[in-house]
Amino acid sequence: MSDRKTERLLNLTLALLATKRYLKKSEILENVFGYEGSQESKERMFERDKDDLRSLGIEIEVGDLDPFFEDEPGYRIPQKSYELIVPELSPQELAILSLAANYWNDSVLAPSAQSGIRKLQSLGIPSSNDLDFRLKNRFENPMQTLEVISEAISRASSITFSYDSKERSLRHVQPYRVIFWNGFWYLMGFDTDRESMRLFKLSRFVSEVTLSKKKNEFKIPTDFDPLTYLPDRDIEITHTAQLAISKGSAVILRNRGKFLTSGEEVDFYEVTYSNEFQFLRELLWYGTNVEVIEPAELRMAIANLVKGVIA
Amino acid sequence: MSESALDRTARALDLVPYLLEHQGISISELAMVFGVTEKQINEDLVLIHMCGLPGYTPLELIEMYYEDGYVTVSDPQSLNRPRKMTRNELTSILVALDLMKAGRAGEISEVIMNLESKLIKNLKVDNPYVVVSDLVANPMIADLEEAISKSRGLQITYLSAHRDAKTERRIFPSEIFTTNREVYVNAWCESSQADRTFRVDRILECSLLSDADSVAIKKPLAQTTHHEHNEAGIKLFVSQSARSFIEENRAIVSDVRADENGFAVDLENIESEWLIRTILGYGGAIRVIEPEQLVGAIATRATEIYAKYL
Repeated sequence: MSDRKTERLLNLTLALLATKRYLKKSEILENVFGYEGSQESKERMFERDKDDLRSLGIEIEVGDLDPFFEDEPGYRIPQKSYELIVPELSPQELAILSLAANYWNDSVLAPSAQSGIRKLQSLGIPSSNDLDFRLKNRFENPMQTLEVISEAISRASSITFSYDSKERSLRHVQPYRVIFWNGFWYLMGFDTDRESMRLFKLSRFVSEVTLSKKKNEFKIPTDFDPLTYLPDRDIEITHTAQLAISKGSAVILRNRGKFLTSGEEVDFYEVTYSNEFQFLRELLWYGTNVEVIEPAELRMAIANLVKGVIA
Repeated sequence: MSESALDRTARALDLVPYLLEHQGISISELAMVFGVTEKQINEDLVLIHMCGLPGYTPLELIEMYYEDGYVTVSDPQSLNRPRKMTRNELTSILVALDLMKAGRAGEISEVIMNLESKLIKNLKVDNPYVVVSDLVANPMIADLEEAISKSRGLQITYLSAHRDAKTERRIFPSEIFTTNREVYVNAWCESSQADRTFRVDRILECSLLSDADSVAIKKPLAQTTHHEHNEAGIKLFVSQSARSFIEENRAIVSDVRADENGFAVDLENIESEWLIRTILGYGGAIRVIEPEQLVGAIATRATEIYAKYL
């Protein structure tokens, strides 16, 4: 079954690609191998085949035949729209692309990345092999959700899903972008109930994603910049803290700080930080070997954290 | 599992131009490249062999030979060029390129950037993915990659958080990876005679060892990494506000059960010093349930620190 249909689809593609002029439907049904049965069933077969090929991304052009013929439409696949046309790629670039295609291990993105690279490797470009790329990303494996959302973005269809934040709730979102940020996948989109841009971590989705049937429901503003909606990313803003560090300890803090003066049991350093939450965790790692001198708010924050542990 | 005729058609359409550029390729390699069984490839080839242009005489059929497990195509008919890439194919490659660029310095990151803009310009695609990386480009990465590629050891100066000291070591790196916001390297450490993970931003200096020295410090073959088994098990309660702890430490979390207020978490056996220091930073948002001595140790540590701030 699958054999015969595949064979027919291949023959149809071959014929429509080979022809320079449009082929009439009757010519196709008569000459392309695989169309059998009554006229009606042949025609139905052909209609389905056309849809199938289009779903593979193959463009079938419909055109008017010579006006001297009956006004039956004609079909062909223009070579230009069928084939992969890429700019010249250097051997090094092709090698980088091959590595990129193998980046995804066994995640949902792997099959498409690999079929993509096979096409590039069918262009006859030699590939160089002297790249030392070894750095791998260990990330949360992207789930099926990822594909549904990227589909929704390209169709501009809104989506609905159940999300686990402070409480579980059903969210209605116009998806704008899928963001990979420091090892995690996020959806950035316009939450239509809350009427604002929101960021959702894909690992906190607790239901399937339902895609609206409608297309072009929204338009992503042309000047949309996802980076402005990421929290805590203002690395430009840095704060300075003064620390008392016990002699011979906290080498890592010392290494990135500025030495101020030396005391009897401690040395004083100035250290900059941008994310307070992370900095507090770093300081507490050193226990009693590091004490915050300034600013007062940071002293207070540390005191509150440890008080929380004792309570 | 039976495959849809459509998936098979897609593969057959890609097989022919691929064969054309890889004449004499073996069936087993084809199976690997296309991610299917050799049996499937054989069936595909038989099928393709029967396809061609109207007329379907030998002159009009796709002409190929497969002998002793090797395939050659002599006439692909109209399937001589690869199909254009789908949106999914292109975007998944683009995200991977973005990831490869992150953390890299110098010429190569420019090469990748140019390549990306070339692809985007020519293939006109709306990319739904955005990669944001806060990794700081680190030239040490290239040295480590070179060492791994060439199977060489390294002499490093390393700031150890654990020992709280600047140390000199010879290591034999095996894997370099990024997770959360940092780049790490797994290596055999000669001085500790064990596999260790190092944070790349804490390597102050590194230099490639000679071939002879590299061989000398290699991990002994018989060595199997020994994991102490933790009979008691570590049980934590992690409140909602500290859930990032679970997400950032997936590797050591063995079980998570959610309730209204947070998560009951079981951990793999890990070093208690690491856990004490880490939990302190979450200020009460993570509670140790078991073992008892860990609960005590954390409370003591916290009281000592608090005394400094009274």
